[in-house]
Amino acid sequence: MLDYVIGKYNFWIYVVLMMIGLYAMMGKKNLVKKLIGMNIFQSAIILFYISTGVKKGGATVPILMGHAQGHGHQAIDVAGYLNPLPHVLMLTAIVVSIATTGVALAILILIYRRYNTLEEDEILKIRKDTGV
Amino acid sequence: MKVIALIAAIMTGALLIYGIEEMPEWGDPNSPASSHVSPLYIQEAIEKTATPNMVTAVLADYRGYDTLGETTVIFTAGIACVLMLRKKRKGGGD
Repeated sequence: MLDYVIGKYNFWIYVVLMMIGLYAMMGKKNLVKKLIGMNIFQSAIILFYISTGVKKGGATVPILMGHAQGHGHQAIDVAGYLNPLPHVLMLTAIVVSIATTGVALAILILIYRRYNTLEEDEILKIRKDTGV
Repeated sequence: MKVIALIAAIMTGALLIYGIEEMPEWGDPNSPASSHVSPLYIQEAIEKTATPNMVTAVLADYRGYDTLGETTVIFTAGIACVLMLRKKRKGGGD
């Protein structure tokens, strides 16, 4: 059992992080805390993808070293460079996550201006009382 | 409500942990993610795009249209923030 946990402990960490984020999105009443939960969830997914690109055994960042520019005929050692594809995809994911966070914060500002609170139950109560 | 959320989170986590069993070892050079198309990018990026940095080559050359769409996302988000947060003009239309 211990080997089972330690052998792939990185995935356990991502699952725990992801569930912290999921619980924050579902269980918390404060809208800002929900947003923070969404960010934790996204960070867990980003870490997971980055970890799939890792190669142990002397692999370095995916930038060519020592190869003259324009001469691609030397054999390039694939095991010497990390997998670049997860990095690219997560670069895109980080940008999208920043965009969604920005829009969500703007919406939260509007909600606060209108209801003077960011607690979900209080907002629902105000909407019920005023019939809006 | 919080109890339901906690139970749902724990059950989802249990499902994901069940799926960990099938994942490759951390840092395995022959894992599926690193073995099918990824070596082609590493070997051919310098030849086809003349860019030593493979991340940049994939981002801006192979997936250039994807990056163009990404900038559209950023632009849309910025426009949405500006439209939501601008000051309403006094005496203007509603």
